[in-house]
Amino acid sequence: MRGHCGLFFESYRAEAAVFPSRFQRVSLGLFAAALLLCPLALSGYAMSVLNLILIAVIGAVSLNLLTGVCGQISLGHGAFIGVGAYAAAQASLHGAPFLAALLLGGLAAALAGMVFGVPSLRLKGIYLAIATLAAQLILEYVFLHWESVTGGSRGLLVNAPRIFGYAFDSEHKQFYLLFAITSLCLLCVTNVLRSRHGRAFVSIRDFYLSAEIAGVNLFATKLAAFGLSSFLAGVAGGLWAHYTMFVSAEQFNIGLSVSYLAMIIIGGLGSVTGSVMGAAFMTLLPEFLNAGSSALSGVLPGIGGQIVALREGVFGLVLVLFLIFEPEGLANRWRLIKAYWKLYPFAH
Amino acid sequence: MKRMLTWMALALMVLAMGGCGGEKKDDKAAGAAKEIKVGGIIDLSGPTSSVGAPYAEGVKAGAAYLNSKGGVAGMTINLDVQDDAYNVQQGLSIYKKFAQDKVVAIQGFGTAVTEALTRTAAKDEIPYFSASYSAHLTDPKTAPYNFFTSADYSTQIRAALKYFKDNWKEQRKPRLALLYPDHPYGLAPIPAAKEYAAELGFELVGEATVDLKAIDATTQLLPLKDKKPDFVWTGGTTPSTAVILKDAKKIGLKATFFTNIWGTDENLIKMAGEASEGVVSLQAAAVYGQDVPGMKMILEASKNQPQMTHYVRGFVSMLVMGEGIRLAAAKGPVTGPGIKAALETLKDYDTQGLAPSVSYLPDDHRPSMAVFLYKVTGGKLAFLAQETLERKAQWLGK
Repeated sequence: MRGHCGLFFESYRAEAAVFPSRFQRVSLGLFAAALLLCPLALSGYAMSVLNLILIAVIGAVSLNLLTGVCGQISLGHGAFIGVGAYAAAQASLHGAPFLAALLLGGLAAALAGMVFGVPSLRLKGIYLAIATLAAQLILEYVFLHWESVTGGSRGLLVNAPRIFGYAFDSEHKQFYLLFAITSLCLLCVTNVLRSRHGRAFVSIRDFYLSAEIAGVNLFATKLAAFGLSSFLAGVAGGLWAHYTMFVSAEQFNIGLSVSYLAMIIIGGLGSVTGSVMGAAFMTLLPEFLNAGSSALSGVLPGIGGQIVALREGVFGLVLVLFLIFEPEGLANRWRLIKAYWKLYPFAH
Repeated sequence: MKRMLTWMALALMVLAMGGCGGEKKDDKAAGAAKEIKVGGIIDLSGPTSSVGAPYAEGVKAGAAYLNSKGGVAGMTINLDVQDDAYNVQQGLSIYKKFAQDKVVAIQGFGTAVTEALTRTAAKDEIPYFSASYSAHLTDPKTAPYNFFTSADYSTQIRAALKYFKDNWKEQRKPRLALLYPDHPYGLAPIPAAKEYAAELGFELVGEATVDLKAIDATTQLLPLKDKKPDFVWTGGTTPSTAVILKDAKKIGLKATFFTNIWGTDENLIKMAGEASEGVVSLQAAAVYGQDVPGMKMILEASKNQPQMTHYVRGFVSMLVMGEGIRLAAAKGPVTGPGIKAALETLKDYDTQGLAPSVSYLPDDHRPSMAVFLYKVTGGKLAFLAQETLERKAQWLGK
């Protein structure tokens, strides 16, 4: 990139760079710096919402890798997150250091994901969705009944994360931990997408037969997608377990799987930025609706009950409107906004 | 181009709304002088709202009642009830908001959210009252800041078994069957039930799971019919209990059905109709209009509008919390640890018949070992008996 007008590349390597332009590098750096300064300015509540978003981002980006990039729909993602949460919790209860527990959680989830990913060789689309739904139900049953490991209906109590004796025991401290791990996961997924494996994932999504003819080993690649995606989901689960300090079967139900699917659809299938946006959107929407409804019931007392009911409806309505008006997700809208400003004020 | 502008305007509006929210908080903090902040995290929407909403009304009525009598130790209770929709994430963020606003105590509700907040509430030293009566929340070793005012699920089922055994006239062993949902809430009291039933000399003849959302239970009930159980435990919520009762009547299964605290209320009688006749219900609070001294408070608080038993239970929960605050205020500033310490000195707190008397010990948060038994008679919940068990140490938390 030599010229200063527009963006063009002279090699494939340059085109596939993680941050293709200096402007992008600078703005991303500024964004990260602003985020890192957040704990100084924001209250505990705002930080807790940010922390929930960061955990959701890992879950969303991992599902996007599987569903958005590789085209393998999964309704069992919530359960894979649960496997990671239980495994990480058990590991740290047995004295493993936090980071090792997190890795073990990821590995356990990857194993579970690969086992339940085996049917993907034969099943596609809606059939695979049902197979992964079965994974969700089976794992939920295991969470509830394997008492010696999962604590059954009593759940597991976990301690706050601690690295080399330093305890991350407040929202503000945990933010830095979560921020570091989330950035790492995002970088990892972005780089996978640029690799041979990433291109193989996309080729399977676009048309499995062409992919196979081009020399992609369907079974190995699909399993790799399930494994990697579940590994990251397991990391998200491990973080969730250490963040809430309590793991129980109810947290990883089908509702969680569906809400992760909603995140990546709203954010944009196959896009890392989209996963981030979708996760932020889905976590913030109930908060905004809550704030809105409590503000409204302050102005109009006596209709509190109806507002609560209305809020659930509004949540659904917003999702449907999104699907109608933004079928390609927030990531696409973001691209369009950027394109608009690129030519400003000389729009055609 | 125009669309782009619309979108940007929308984005600006969202930002502006966020800004407004931030400013409002400062105004509130300024006006807080002689006021105690109490948070409420209760299911006003979602799958458990049919019981959560009346419970929340009861909690609010309890706070309003205490305030109308001059408040607690001269301070008014400022109760803010928020809806968590039985969703852990939403419960968590509501809790964080309360923790930041420095509430001294929280009135919570459902199992999922209460358990997810157990550790956090203990860390932040905020006493957390819940309507999730899982026995493990009564053990201060694992849940030091958790309190509730009803006997726990395990104690409830034990009390019922004891009552049935004491009133058993025949020579043979009474036959027991257990129906429960495959759900943390349904599974919680089952080990206790099996152990105590064996100890008392019940014969366990059947066991099956009926989902909370079941629309048919004949598959589970038909095999039971041949085994002729005398007593059938139904450990679900009112919708699944109604399904079980109606199907049992349809196939002609005759037994005494007994349900736990969320399995029977005024709605069950509407849903199951005649099939609900004779059902024994385990409760921890009086029903509306019952002849107990404390009913005066309820009638006053509800302005003579009939309420469900959950309302009374919410009311009692607030009364007990108020008593904790009053005792804490007598010893110094009202703080979370102060309220906890005060509650742990509570001995036989008299709710004037609205609920069994409440006590807490520093190493034992079981509020009471007494359970109210009601029987559905003539379409109404009629008081049957109060069964009080011994406070055995080995039952704590189990």
